[in-house]
Amino acid sequence: MTMYDVELQNVTKRFGSVVAVDHIDLCVPRGTFLTLLGPSGCGKTTTLRMIGGFEHPDEGTIVIAGQLMGRTPPYRRPTSMVFQNYALFPHLTVAENIAYGLRERRLDRQTIERRVQEMLRLVALEGYGNRYPRQLSGGQQQRVALARSLVIEPAVLLLDEPLGALDLKLRRQMQLELKRIQNQVGITFIYVTHDQEEALTMSDQIAVMNQGRIEQLGPPEELFDRPRTRFVADFLGAANVLTAEVLAADRTSACLALAGGRLVVHEPDLAPGQTVAVVIRPHWLRFARDGDAAVWQGRVTERVYKGATIAYRVELDAVTAVTVEVPTGTGDLLPTVGETVGLAVAPDRVRVVRE
Amino acid sequence: MAASNVLLAPPRRLPAAVLLTVLPAFLLLTGFLLVPLLLLALYSVYSTDPVTGLMRPDFTLDNYLRIVTSSVYRRVFVRTVEIAVVCTLIALLIAYPVGYTLGAIVPRRRQPFLLLLVIVPFWTSYIVRTYGWIGFLQNGGFLDSVLSLLLPGTVQLDLLYSRVAVVIGFVHVFLPLMILPIYAITRSLDRRLLEASADLGAPPWRTFLRVTLPLTWPGVVAGASLYFIAVFGSFVTPQLLGGTGDLMIGNLIADQFGEAFNWPLGAALAVVITLVVLVALGIFFRFADLERLHG
Repeated sequence: MTMYDVELQNVTKRFGSVVAVDHIDLCVPRGTFLTLLGPSGCGKTTTLRMIGGFEHPDEGTIVIAGQLMGRTPPYRRPTSMVFQNYALFPHLTVAENIAYGLRERRLDRQTIERRVQEMLRLVALEGYGNRYPRQLSGGQQQRVALARSLVIEPAVLLLDEPLGALDLKLRRQMQLELKRIQNQVGITFIYVTHDQEEALTMSDQIAVMNQGRIEQLGPPEELFDRPRTRFVADFLGAANVLTAEVLAADRTSACLALAGGRLVVHEPDLAPGQTVAVVIRPHWLRFARDGDAAVWQGRVTERVYKGATIAYRVELDAVTAVTVEVPTGTGDLLPTVGETVGLAVAPDRVRVVRE
Repeated sequence: MAASNVLLAPPRRLPAAVLLTVLPAFLLLTGFLLVPLLLLALYSVYSTDPVTGLMRPDFTLDNYLRIVTSSVYRRVFVRTVEIAVVCTLIALLIAYPVGYTLGAIVPRRRQPFLLLLVIVPFWTSYIVRTYGWIGFLQNGGFLDSVLSLLLPGTVQLDLLYSRVAVVIGFVHVFLPLMILPIYAITRSLDRRLLEASADLGAPPWRTFLRVTLPLTWPGVVAGASLYFIAVFGSFVTPQLLGGTGDLMIGNLIADQFGEAFNWPLGAALAVVITLVVLVALGIFFRFADLERLHG
C-alpha cells in the first residue's frame, strides 16, 4: 500500500507551442494539505486540472490513491474539485447541489438526506438546504461547493483558488475554516493559489511553481526561512535580494562582500571570486546598537508605519537599498528619515540562493 | 402643501424623453397590429349579404357557431395541431444538436460563419424555398433519381402532395427559428458546470440530462413556441406540397378572404386560432417559467 495519495512522475503538458507544465515530479503523502503556489501562468492550475482529469498529460504518469490514471475521465477518479467560481448548479437548491454526486452513486434517499444534513452542519450552513445558490453570499456559496465535493468522500480534494472571489476578511476566516475542515475529514487537499499568505497559513507543504516547474517543495517555514532560489525568496514574502562576491571560502562557510559590508555565512560549496545572490528578509535586519557589529552603514530614506511593525528603506550605497522591518513597541529608539544608521544581521539568517 | 407632496411622493410620471423613445414602437404596434386585430374581431361578428356576397355591418355570432358546429373546421383544426406538433418535435431533434454544437462545441471565432449558414437560407423567400422542395420530392424528381441510381429498380417514393412532403417542407423552412434561441442559450452555458458534473461522478449522458438540458430548457421552449406558431399559421406549405387531405387552418382562412370572399367567416377563424395560439403560448411559457424559477 502506497503512502502517497497523489504521485506525479515527469508530467508535461503543452498547449500548442506553450509548455504549461514542464516535467514535474510530485508526491503528496496521504492527509497532506499541499499548496501549489505561483504567479498566473506558472502551470499550477493546469497541474491541478490534470490531477482532476480535466486535462491529460502529454508525457509522464499520474497515480492517485495507488491507481494509475492515464486518460481516466473525471467521473471515474477518486478526486473532487472545488472550482474557482464554485460552479454551483444554478437550477438546483443547496441540498440538491450537495446531493448531486450521491445521486450519481445511486445511494438511497434516506442516506442521501442524512449525508447532506451532515455536510450542511460541517460547513455551518444548516437550514440553508432549500435556498438556491444565487440567494447565498459568496462565502456561503464557497462552503456549498466545498460540501458538494466533500460529501462524495474523495481521496483527494482539489481546490482551484477557491477564496479568490472573497473579500480579505472573509478570506482569512475561510482559510482557518478550510484548515479546520481538512483536519476534521483528514483527506489530502491540493490547493492552488497565487496568494503567499494563504499558502503559508494553511499548508503542510508548499510547492512553489514557476514557468511550469516546481522551484522548491517543503513546509512553509522551510520555504520562508531557507528559500533555495531567488524566485522563491521573492515570491514568498518580502525579500532583499542582493548580489554578493565571494571573497574567501572553505568547506562549511564563506566570506562575502556585499554593498560595502562583509559577512561570513555558513554555506558550503562556494568558490572565491564567484558572484552569488543573497536573500535577507526585512525582519532579519536590525539597527546596530553599541556593541553590535554593524555590517553596513546606510541612510534612512523612507519610513512606513504599519502598526505592528515599521518598514524602513535604507540606502547602503549609490546602487543598493534594502528594506528593514522592525517591531514597534519594544521601547527601542527608532531612527528617523535622513539619519545615518548601522545595520546588522545574524549570519545564519542570510541565504545564498540560485538565480 | 403641493411642495411637501413633491418631496414625499416618488415621481409618478415617466420623463417625457422616455415616453418619446417608446413612441415609434407604440405607434407602429398600434397602427399595424392592434388596429387590424380589432378590425378582424369586428369583421368576425359581421354578416355576409346572401345576394351580393358583400360584408354587412351587423352583430351576429353565426360565424363562430358555424366554426364550432362544423366537423370540417374541427377536423382541419385537429390536423393543423397534429402537423404543428409533429413538425415541432422533428425540428427539435434537428435544431437542438445543431444549436448545441454551434453554441457549445464550435470555437467562438468560427461561430459567426456557421451561424450565417443557418441564417442565409432565411433571406430567401419562404415560397421559393418551398418550391425548391417540389423539384426535389416530385415523382421522378431529384430524390427519386438519386434513389434509382443507388438502388436500381423500381423505387418511386412519390412524396410530393403528401403529409410527409408537408412535414419535410415545414421542418426545413422554419428551422432557424428554433436553432437560434437554442444556440443563444447554449452559448451562455457555463462550461465549468459540465466539468463540475463530471467531477462529481456523472458520465456525459447523465450530465446532459441533469445539467445541460435543464439549463438550456428556456431556449428550447422559446424556439419551440416560435416554431410552433409559425407552422400553425402557415398556408403556403400545405398548398404547395400537400394533397387535398393536408389543408390547414391557414388555408381555410386564406380561402375565406380570397376565393370564397367571406371575410366575416375568415375573420372569425383568425380570431379563434389567435386565441388558441395565445393559450398555447401561455402554457409553453409556464413550462419555461417553472425552469426559470430555479435558474
